[in-house]
Amino acid sequence: MSSTSHEVARGPHHNSGAASTALSAHSIDKKFPGVLANDSVDFDVRAGEVHTLLGENGAGKSTLAAVLCGLYQPDAGYLMRNGKRINLSSPRAGLQHGIAMVHQHFRLVERFSVSENVILGSRDLPFKLNRRDINEKVASVAESYGLPIDPNATVGDLSVGQRQRVEIVKALYQGAEILLLDEPTAVLVPSEVEKLFENVHAMTAAGKSIVFISHKLGEVVEISDRVTVLRNGRVTGHVSGRGTTDTKELARLMVGRDIELNAQRATHATGHEILQIRNLSLSVENVAVLSDISFNVHAGEMVGIAGVAGNGQRELADTIAGLISPTSGSVSISGAMTTDCGPIQAREVGLAYVPEDRLGMGLVPSMTILDNLLLTRDRKVVVDRVSVRPEATRLIEQFEIKANGPDHLARKLSGGNAQKVLLARELSGGRSATKLLVVCSPTRGLDVGAIETVRRLLNDARRAGQAILLISEDLDEVLSLSDRVFVLYRGAVVLETPGESAQLSQVGAAMAGLANEGRS
Amino acid sequence: MMRIPFRVVFEQRGETPRRLSLLVPLASVLAALFFGALFLLATGYSPIDTYTNMFRDGFASFNGITDTLALSTVLICTGISAAFAFQMNLYNIGGEGQLYLGLIGGAWAGIALGDHLPTLIMVPIVLLCGALAGAAWIFVPAFVRSRLGTSEIVSTLLLTYIGASLIKHVIYTPDSFFRNPNTSFPQGRRVADSASLDSFGSSRLYPTFFVALIIAGALYWIVKRTEFGYRINVISDSPRAAHYAGINARRTTIWVMLISGALSGLAGAMLIVGPYGKIEPSIITLGYGYAGIVVAALARNNLGLIIVSGILFSGLRVGGNNLQVTTDTPIHIGVMLQGAILLFALGGEAFRRYHIHVVRVQDATARKAAV
Ligand SMILES: Nc1ncnc2c1ncn2[C@@H]1O[C@H](COP(=O)(O)OP(=O)(O)OP(=O)(O)O)[C@@H](O)[C@H]1O
Ligand SMILES: [Mg+2]
Repeated sequence: MSSTSHEVARGPHHNSGAASTALSAHSIDKKFPGVLANDSVDFDVRAGEVHTLLGENGAGKSTLAAVLCGLYQPDAGYLMRNGKRINLSSPRAGLQHGIAMVHQHFRLVERFSVSENVILGSRDLPFKLNRRDINEKVASVAESYGLPIDPNATVGDLSVGQRQRVEIVKALYQGAEILLLDEPTAVLVPSEVEKLFENVHAMTAAGKSIVFISHKLGEVVEISDRVTVLRNGRVTGHVSGRGTTDTKELARLMVGRDIELNAQRATHATGHEILQIRNLSLSVENVAVLSDISFNVHAGEMVGIAGVAGNGQRELADTIAGLISPTSGSVSISGAMTTDCGPIQAREVGLAYVPEDRLGMGLVPSMTILDNLLLTRDRKVVVDRVSVRPEATRLIEQFEIKANGPDHLARKLSGGNAQKVLLARELSGGRSATKLLVVCSPTRGLDVGAIETVRRLLNDARRAGQAILLISEDLDEVLSLSDRVFVLYRGAVVLETPGESAQLSQVGAAMAGLANEGRS
Repeated sequence: MMRIPFRVVFEQRGETPRRLSLLVPLASVLAALFFGALFLLATGYSPIDTYTNMFRDGFASFNGITDTLALSTVLICTGISAAFAFQMNLYNIGGEGQLYLGLIGGAWAGIALGDHLPTLIMVPIVLLCGALAGAAWIFVPAFVRSRLGTSEIVSTLLLTYIGASLIKHVIYTPDSFFRNPNTSFPQGRRVADSASLDSFGSSRLYPTFFVALIIAGALYWIVKRTEFGYRINVISDSPRAAHYAGINARRTTIWVMLISGALSGLAGAMLIVGPYGKIEPSIITLGYGYAGIVVAALARNNLGLIIVSGILFSGLRVGGNNLQVTTDTPIHIGVMLQGAILLFALGGEAFRRYHIHVVRVQDATARKAAV
């Protein structure tokens, strides 16, 4: 263990200086057809620490986490828990040893209440449930780690951050001592990330161990006691001690070269109007989701939409893409009216759309990469896969997608590589030459190298004269890439500002609904 | 309170080991045969003799294999009917009723068009009319399913009962168009000679068998290779991706169900141009449509495997039914064996999907206490 001063100051469990190893993995191999996802990986986590797994997309982080919790069985190597060798045949066996994983895609039943979800799957429940007892127990588990949550709330009504909290409470309720968090912050807004980190501190202070996975280097530096870097399934680096590293060094460790971490704006002379939105309003079940939105995006221009998730961004994008009919107002792309015309018409006049949800909306999980490339294209009556194959192979190379080839199933891709397939398809044009590109959270889940690539591609696209609408919760990204930024709050544009001279405080206030000056 | 010291635990597998995919079906059949043997022994029959007889009468004799293929002609059609709908997670339970309608539709064409056209034209027309009648029978369930989301399981099943009544009605009503006017005994009226095919030699196998094979191949191809099949795959896997890509799920749902109905209807019409030549009211006791669901389930709804499972299941049925004729074994033994094989084959799925093991209850509680 490193002996930096940071180590000592960190809570009651570290005053001895050498906390015991809670869980360790030894020479783990995990093969998938065509890839060695884990190649003799050694890893360990101590009681009361946060140990981060860092690595490029497809490096094998999720695979290692799945092995650690019993979801996958390793092809070689073994696990030790508190110094004793264990064999995990299933996640339930993992749980019996106090190991639980919080997946990026939550596995909650939306119609059930919080406490019903928490006790779901527990053995040894009495035949007749005493709701009050259970609620109390769930609430007390939650509160002892600073995770206040209403046990009676229906999960379907909760925000993403709250659902994640339910998953964590569930793991703790089931007796987890070691929590594996796979990209927990990818779906959270900054304030929720802060909350999560407070919870993580509360848990480590109570002697629990956290295995943390994230691509956001700033977070990694902030939260980790140790970092292990994976590359192509191998451990290639270690960093010990909180605060002993910075994001630049981590990036270099990960990809083996210097990375431009900050987004660069490609200033470009803008042309005529491509996207025109006029007085767009949308109500769903009499609740206004979008109200009276009007703006244009010009050829060669990037317009950013900032806002806290759930303020109408998704609906705005879906409406532009022809998936939702607005209650009133109009959308036209490249001079053609596309309101109510459906997604195919919109694509025919030059739309490309990267939705927020990749697996299940942008991509069909059970289909191959090749078939997924065909999803938004013009398919003949007999699907012609032969002629698309070379292009698929080329895109896999160009986007550095880690896959066995065009026949790799989308659901068997790592999270970041799935996102790359989606971007590759939408950025490479489909039914017609792309004129308008609507992208939602394009860099979510991508490693720093891939983020750099995607931003470069977006900038290339605008230099080629495409109009780009960038919708993202990553405020830094929006501000630094866009020419103009709109802030969406409760379905209305509350602020318009140039990207270059935008003031963070002003934008932040607008996102929180505190803007008092309307649009210019 | 008494406690059982052991507990069987089912744990969902993260991934299914490849060898299990082969091993499980094989082991299921063996287990079923073993279970059947116990049953045979207990009732005083020799398992070895019974199995040899069944195998001979189902597969290993001229009459056996041709009868098996003849039956499989129908079961392959009803089997793809069920499996095709299932490609889109639709449960067409009413293949039985659509088959009745296929019988009526085919008989109508075969009688009404008379003996004017050559067989080569007449037979396809009869088959087409049967298929259309089957499709018509599923139209309402398809429509309400795609518009209102009404369960097709219930609606197609209910229509089967109405279909059965319809069969009885057209045969037992005096002066019915479909009833043989020359006998007082209620019987179907024969279709025109040009609407009847000849069987191969002395067998009861008709050329429609090859039609069934071609249709099975064609549907497999449609699902794998065509735009229509592509849509089916997108919708069944992720409806939201279909919406995103502008694929019309409602329309596709209707088409898939209509085709499924047409396939069961076709099976009925194949009986008209083949062995029946008229409406046989006994059809409502044979359950060929329901058997199609079983055939589809045995093939795990894999269109490529329906031919295999259809022939295997037919052989089992032919062999089982013949037990009664060639030996004195009651028919129920044959039926029981069919049921056992089916049950074990489907039960075997549990081993593929779950890791099953037995734990001692004390162990579990002790471990819990330690944690
Ligand atoms: N079930 C699977 N079948 C086949 N290959 C798989 C499967 N799961 C993962 N892989 C492959 O194993 C490699 C490692 O994947 P893994 O999901 O562990 O990556 P990761 O480090 O979590 O990446 P990301 O940051 O993109 O989530 C990838 O090349 C991926 O394509
Ligand atoms: Mg991952």
